[in-house]
Amino acid sequence: MGAVKVVKVDKLAKSVVQGPSLMTGSYPTKDWMDVPAVFKPGNFAYPAKKEKVEYMNAQQGLSFPNAREWWPEDDDWKLPENWKEIILNGLRERLDKFRSLKIFMDCCVRCGACADKCHFFLGTGDPKNMPVLRAELLRSVYRNDFTLAGKLLGKMAGGREMTVGVLKEWFMYAYQCTECRRCSVFCPYGIDTAEVTIMLRELLHTVGVGINWILEPASNSNRTGNHMGLQPHTFKDNVSFLCDDIENLTGIRVEPTFNRKGAEILFITPSADVFAEPGLYTAMGYLLLFHHIGLDYTWSTYASEGGNFGLFTNNETMKKLNAKMYAEAKRLGVKFIIGGECGHMWRVLHQYMDTMNGPADFLEVPKSPITGTVFDNARSTKMIHVSEFTADLIKNNKLNIDKSRNDHVVATWHDSCNTARGMGLLEEPRYILDNVVNNWYEMPENCIREKTFCCGSGTGLNTDEIMELRMRGGLPRANAVKYVHEKHGVNTLGCVCAIDRATLTSLVNYWVPQVRVCGLSELVGNSLVMEGEQRQELEDGLRTIL
Amino acid sequence: MRLSEALQEKKNKILAVWVERTLDSYAASDFFKTSRDQIANPIGANIRAGLASILELLLKGAQTDEYTSALDQVVRIRAVQEFTPSQAVVPFLELKWVIRQVLGDDKKTSSLVYDLAEFDCEIDRVALAAFDIYAKCREQLYQVRIQELKSGSYILTDTPCTSSLLRERQRGPVKIN
Repeated sequence: MGAVKVVKVDKLAKSVVQGPSLMTGSYPTKDWMDVPAVFKPGNFAYPAKKEKVEYMNAQQGLSFPNAREWWPEDDDWKLPENWKEIILNGLRERLDKFRSLKIFMDCCVRCGACADKCHFFLGTGDPKNMPVLRAELLRSVYRNDFTLAGKLLGKMAGGREMTVGVLKEWFMYAYQCTECRRCSVFCPYGIDTAEVTIMLRELLHTVGVGINWILEPASNSNRTGNHMGLQPHTFKDNVSFLCDDIENLTGIRVEPTFNRKGAEILFITPSADVFAEPGLYTAMGYLLLFHHIGLDYTWSTYASEGGNFGLFTNNETMKKLNAKMYAEAKRLGVKFIIGGECGHMWRVLHQYMDTMNGPADFLEVPKSPITGTVFDNARSTKMIHVSEFTADLIKNNKLNIDKSRNDHVVATWHDSCNTARGMGLLEEPRYILDNVVNNWYEMPENCIREKTFCCGSGTGLNTDEIMELRMRGGLPRANAVKYVHEKHGVNTLGCVCAIDRATLTSLVNYWVPQVRVCGLSELVGNSLVMEGEQRQELEDGLRTIL
Repeated sequence: MRLSEALQEKKNKILAVWVERTLDSYAASDFFKTSRDQIANPIGANIRAGLASILELLLKGAQTDEYTSALDQVVRIRAVQEFTPSQAVVPFLELKWVIRQVLGDDKKTSSLVYDLAEFDCEIDRVALAAFDIYAKCREQLYQVRIQELKSGSYILTDTPCTSSLLRERQRGPVKIN
């Protein structure tokens, strides 16, 4: 080996890379446009089943064409013959319809502020997961076919032709984005890359390219009212089982009502809360809280889902599933709606409901029957978050709380993307935590509140066949949880989102198994001192096994 | 100069090249290399910290079990990324190459590359321990999948049902990357 006087690290590293190495094959050598998307087990979610696509396509006002059996690893995706025309016409139609899309396509100056903010980029190092480049997948086609420079100069102007390869790339990266909007917080122009992903997914559906984990829950929700496909009697039975558990733990019999006309309030939460761990404990928290204050409310077995997987398909489906909540509120004649700990239900409600189905004039502006507080912020949607409602109860001293009942908990707080960035719910959960838990610690400043990191499994990516992808996407969040676990002994990760509760559980099981995940209302439920209770020593709160 | 002294003296340079080279296995690695923020840059920060600890341990002649935490810090990440098993753990073997390059580039130390046999053996030991951790991480990943099915969230769809697994099998043997 030749001796060199002074070798700079960067130069040396480069020469090492170019030298003989065992690490062959892992270095990028091509421009991003020339790297095709390669599908292999573990990096794609299973395509939507033919019968689910057919069912959705048969619904009035919905369009899910090209139902068929197909597989991402196959060369032939069995696209319609005129697929390219469909896509380009679809893009044209959306550019006309959504001014924001046109602006997002035109105004990006590629400053790169968003590049290192995406959890998928931070967990993969794949340049196409930089939000700027993910958007470029669509923008390049837009330039090529819809701008003068692109039409004249093509690739030189950053344009490229729509090909099957580009379509496959769209499918790959539109489903490696959870529409969490962290990137948009850092964009100086306010480009909402999540909406670019939304458009990519809509366009893909126009040629029959979508995933089952989204379409099946959406079709279930359309059919029975919830993602799980639970029928009314099953839904009611599940809630009743939770009431039995509450009775065993506290000696209190909670008697919720279902589909009760004339109730003051309709309560809607994700169906996962009444079916799957750890959401069950959150639902027990709601039941205890509402019993504690004697709330006049009802559950609905029809509007039995807060989640709206329509948001992950197209705006028509989102509108239809959102409308169901209001149709039920009208049918039951309630005054307003309280919503449970859900993520994207709130995004849809806060950002889209008003122009899709609102304003909900037949309801009243939410006014807490316990404190008299009027929730003016919800004067149009007539729907408030259970954490807003709970924080107000605490502030007005209406809850009998024993914080020490949560002394087995050392908590940290995960701001769920949709409630934090999508509706600004930042202070209420912290206020509740301050009042129901003795020990909790914030994660570092650059990953909380509006800068929160996504769980990595939102927007219908919470399916197990892409577990590795989810672990990569969730790495930034898990890494921060690990940080507070090591620094403060944190053992509980609180949040207000059903998808978070399910997927963060898997995430921490891999990255920080010493931590478990809970909903905020579970911690509230743990701490409540109920009138007439015959409570045993619950060393693990509502999770205690007697 | 003795080998141990030379390695101690060149420690920082060895680490810098080793980290740079390992991070080069990511397609867009500039940010991973430049940001030292533990929260904003989880891959870069964890790999840098893990490799630094491993190098320290090698230089002090640590026992195999002392490497577990540092190896885990690096391998747990690479075990869920789009690497083959060998690509996931190869950085540890590459250290041999990095050390030869750094020692060989300095007249004072270039002859010491012939004394590296024993140190190489230590590195092999670490690389094998890394493979054990890799296998554990993968097993844990599958446990997480099973746990998710058991917890009830599978009810959302019947995607992971037996028939869909059969369909995968009909498509031929499962390819490993």
